[in-house]
Amino acid sequence: MHLSTLLSLPASLALLTLATVYASPHSYTEHLHLLPLPQSHLHAHFNFTATTPLSAYESSHFRYFPRSLAQILQHTRTKELHLRFTTGRWDDESWGARPLDGTREGGTGVELWAWVDGGGSKTVPEERWSELVNSLSGLFCASLNFIDSTKTVRPVRLFEPEGDHGSEKGGLQLLHGMLPHEVVCTENLTPFLKLLPCKGKAGISTLLDGHKLFDATWQSMAIDVRPVCGAADGGECVLEIQQSVSMALSIPRSMRDRHDPIPRPAKIEDVQCDESKPWNGHDTCFPNAVTDEPAWTLSKVFGHAAKGACDLERNDQAFDVTLEVPSDRPVNATGASELTFPSTTRRHYRLSASSSFDLSLPACPSPVNPMALFTPPLYATRQIAGHGQERGSMHTTLRNPHAHPLTLVYMESLPWYLRPYMHTLRLSNGKQEKLYYTPALDRERGTHLELVLTIPAQSTTTLTYDFEKAVLRYTEYPPDANRGFDVAPAVVRVLSEHGGFGGSYVRTTSLLLSLPTPDFSMPYNVIILTSTVIALGFGSLFNLLTRSFVLAEEVPPSPLAGIIRRARDAVKGLLGKKTGGDEKESKAADAQAGETAEAPSLAKERTDGKANGIANGHADLRERKARVVT
Amino acid sequence: MALSARLLALRGSPFLYKLPPYLSALCVLVGIGWILLLPLNEYSRQTYVSENAILPGQVHTYFGGSEHNIFRAFRQEVYALSQQSEDARQAGVLKVLADSGLKTASQPYAYQVAGESINGTNVYGILQGPRADATEAMVLLAAWRNFDDQINYSGVALALTLARYFSRWSIWSKDIILLIPSDSTYGPLAWVDAYHSICIPPTASRNISAVPLKAGALQAAVALDYPAGPWGQRFSSLDILYDGLNGALPNLDLLNTAVSIASGQMGIACTLHNHGTHSDSYRDRLSVLGSGLATQSLGHATGPHSAFIPYHVDAITLKTVGDGWHDEMSLGRVTESVFRSINNLLEHLHQSFFFYILLNANRFVSVGNYLPAAMVLAGSFTISALGLWVLSGRDDVLVAPLAGGMAKEKVEMETVKLGSDVALVPRQSTRTIQRELFVPALSLLGVHILGYIPLWLMTSLSRENLLLGLRTTTAVTLLLPLALAATIRLTRSQAQMLQSLSLILLGALLATLATLNFSLALVLGVLAAPLAFVRRSSSALVAAAQGILLAVTSPPVAVYALQRMFYPAAGLEKLLLELAKGWSAQGVWLLWVVWGVWWPAWIVGGVVVGSGVMSASSEPR
Repeated sequence: MHLSTLLSLPASLALLTLATVYASPHSYTEHLHLLPLPQSHLHAHFNFTATTPLSAYESSHFRYFPRSLAQILQHTRTKELHLRFTTGRWDDESWGARPLDGTREGGTGVELWAWVDGGGSKTVPEERWSELVNSLSGLFCASLNFIDSTKTVRPVRLFEPEGDHGSEKGGLQLLHGMLPHEVVCTENLTPFLKLLPCKGKAGISTLLDGHKLFDATWQSMAIDVRPVCGAADGGECVLEIQQSVSMALSIPRSMRDRHDPIPRPAKIEDVQCDESKPWNGHDTCFPNAVTDEPAWTLSKVFGHAAKGACDLERNDQAFDVTLEVPSDRPVNATGASELTFPSTTRRHYRLSASSSFDLSLPACPSPVNPMALFTPPLYATRQIAGHGQERGSMHTTLRNPHAHPLTLVYMESLPWYLRPYMHTLRLSNGKQEKLYYTPALDRERGTHLELVLTIPAQSTTTLTYDFEKAVLRYTEYPPDANRGFDVAPAVVRVLSEHGGFGGSYVRTTSLLLSLPTPDFSMPYNVIILTSTVIALGFGSLFNLLTRSFVLAEEVPPSPLAGIIRRARDAVKGLLGKKTGGDEKESKAADAQAGETAEAPSLAKERTDGKANGIANGHADLRERKARVVT
Repeated sequence: MALSARLLALRGSPFLYKLPPYLSALCVLVGIGWILLLPLNEYSRQTYVSENAILPGQVHTYFGGSEHNIFRAFRQEVYALSQQSEDARQAGVLKVLADSGLKTASQPYAYQVAGESINGTNVYGILQGPRADATEAMVLLAAWRNFDDQINYSGVALALTLARYFSRWSIWSKDIILLIPSDSTYGPLAWVDAYHSICIPPTASRNISAVPLKAGALQAAVALDYPAGPWGQRFSSLDILYDGLNGALPNLDLLNTAVSIASGQMGIACTLHNHGTHSDSYRDRLSVLGSGLATQSLGHATGPHSAFIPYHVDAITLKTVGDGWHDEMSLGRVTESVFRSINNLLEHLHQSFFFYILLNANRFVSVGNYLPAAMVLAGSFTISALGLWVLSGRDDVLVAPLAGGMAKEKVEMETVKLGSDVALVPRQSTRTIQRELFVPALSLLGVHILGYIPLWLMTSLSRENLLLGLRTTTAVTLLLPLALAATIRLTRSQAQMLQSLSLILLGALLATLATLNFSLALVLGVLAAPLAFVRRSSSALVAAAQGILLAVTSPPVAVYALQRMFYPAAGLEKLLLELAKGWSAQGVWLLWVVWGVWWPAWIVGGVVVGSGVMSASSEPR
């Protein structure tokens, strides 16, 4: 009888949600953008965007917006948050400009920056920041809690808020921290997926598999939370969360069989030989350079096909997947409807809720790259030069490939144990417009160095400075085996020519700083050895000094022994009296006692005499010794 | 009447004055004998891999199959490139590297030494580990020309094949740099210098351009030396070269890893110093030890790996030797496995020994066991110096009979009181004379400054004048002591002070050197040993004998002997050129130690002997 009501409950809930979707700007969209890159790579950009009205957010009413994150943001009064988990390198010489101008990626490891409502206080934002990083640390299973005051900087020109903060903007404070050593792994992906409404169970998020994601040549997971006030939502401000995963996969590597991923040498039939070489033969094969894009399928590249759709909005115009390949390239898509838009290179697909989606592309014979690679705004590399344990030098090379000068903001956040000599800061070419510098305080604050530079057209600029390596206390070294200390990447923001918000971001790789490291096992050995020696030496010496050497006979009888003897005698006396009545036994006992009583007294006399003799002799000895001493 | 009184009495004992030379001689004998003991089982140890992370030979190696076909083609390609011009060769190598997916760059270098210029270009590619974070790198080296100036056909081809093969793996935690320098000594040197240089000002002797592409901190380097031609040549064993510049050595773990993989996993015998038949007997061990001491004391590059070691980048060279049944694929798999092991490293190689003497590919002597030998040798100079210093403060009248050992005439005695102790000692023994230190100290300083003249000659003359320079230096060196003795006219006490100061300096320098380059300190200690025993003597016969002994063990004569021993075929000029190159380009200290430390000490020894002759001739008794 209750069955019908039970069954009708989900339906009514669904109706309710439908009603609210259209009534309020709770929205959720997801999108995957696929772009084949040169050198057999594939760029995949997953974007999951959810919004919630600020009013609903403040009254803790969430639908698509992850509650766990929202509560942290509310508690710490964080108004805008950017969190990045990045591994690998984007090869901008082969692949061109970074996706989305580098705005959705971070430096190697973890990077976090946020605008926190400071409430006009100086210490409050730091406390809130500390709460924020500790909470996020728990939420994302990352060591974000290690972003303490020594790793936090306050960039001046590097970032601008992306959201619309209105009148609040003045009170917000930007804090920025990086963890270059953090190894991003599956344990960070799982909580990331948990934040999604479909939790990686349906839609494009099913493609995100730790095995493939972390085998990518480059990948960056990003979470961006910002308030957006647009006319589209009827003027009401919404809080938007963009979760994105951007990755560059090597197609041959990810197409490998999952059960046998070992890249054994290819069969000789599969190697393309250069037959123009005179020595080409059955056992000699000069391999042709692989320029073709190999055939690939979505299900093999990502491990499995996309299952179902996470279509919560029922928006007929929305599309889930965009593939950017030349229009003449054959593409076989299954389990999706293709939407046509007037674009020559982009194909859009809409996933169906019931089937799994797969794409397959045959090998592309000619390496046609219709998207003429966008020239990166800037090439930046950064290295530590020098050798030895004491000094070093930081070399940053910035190359402007464009025909116009670039203005950029260059920021470094250095750990305190790397002490830059600012007087050695040199810029080989170009102009230094501004310098923001916060010197480090040992164990309290890292160095913050921010430069506004102008680099002439088509030129290379080298930024160098020398630094000194600090000597750490022994407890400040990591307790486990380590290769050294990581220095966070430099972040470069290339300002757009026409002002306004924007500019693109380029990050260098992180660096390895080897500090003078003691051999920790050596002090241990030394401590053990010296302790033993001292214990032996001190022990025997102390023994010699404090002990007085006397002959056994000189030792006065111990009072305790006297007491015991007297007690024993007393007991014996008592026993003797008691057993006096028993004649036979007492006779025998007396006889025995007499013998035993006599024997000790005799023995005592003998030993006494002996002791006297020895004592006398000893006195002689002592006299002689005294003479020797004097 | 206690021990102190006896010691007080002993102060004037002739026995004490005679003791230092015997103690010194004992030190020299102990030092040499110590070295001879080292090959015994009791003083050496079996090698072992100390760093647990390395796991040598624990991975299956897959290099083979179609890679062999590719290797053969690359070997032909390398041969074809060797027939072309230098620019075409570099372009060809760069193309192969780029086609394998490496980032490529090249670095020209030029050195000017002894009027000769050494030119070349380093061609290299960086294989960016797909999951690495660009903070660390390991280097695979294959010089275009190996150390014996043969074209390294198979070595380069193997390195190229391996680079192509490695690029398919995603396991690399560190980037792999494939470096193909033009030659085996100066190319790697220029590259590694530029890699670590803070700024590169071109100097008169070196003009190295900056390295345009870098890949983080270098962790280890392995060089391949396999000069088999385009049709291949199988080899019987691998010779592992490990000596760095100035006697620095790579971490023993790297060497152990290579030996354990090659012999344990692949069954390739490993040798050291090209000591082919090693029966692990005392003689063979001693012979390898001797070769090790010789190369380490010369301190010059022994292969492409040598340049890396001063920068604390552990490096070895795998050189194929002989004619056997191991082919290029075996070497390739050894290299693959070594790189997998280095890839495992969490920390920079530091666990195992940096100071060791190898007796065999799997037997070594650790620093604690061998260092006393050089220290005792250095101590012999210090003991002599102290003895001479005491003698120099004594009265002539007393010292002469004492030093002669016979106190014939009656000496006047006096009593000495120290607290309650009383001793009867000769009157002269308590009388001190004023030490006139100015002349000896100034002479010593002057001689040391003079030492820079032969150093400058031997390093700056042009190639054709080097031989003349050495001959002049030899003649001047042998005559200079007599000339100096004739001009300075030292008294007995001053001569003793001069010798004492010189010996104490030599002892201190040798002891310091022993901690940096043990072999050099040991060899120098043995060669300079006579300096502790020469004495001023008025007897012409004794002086002549001492003079001959000194002449035989003089620095220039040692240079001649070096040529006879190590470069019998090449000639003296070639040796001098190599030494000059070592000083100017490689930064080897050897020449400074010879001309700046040994030569002044030798000259002082000569002056002391000479002053005896001079005093005898001027003041005949």
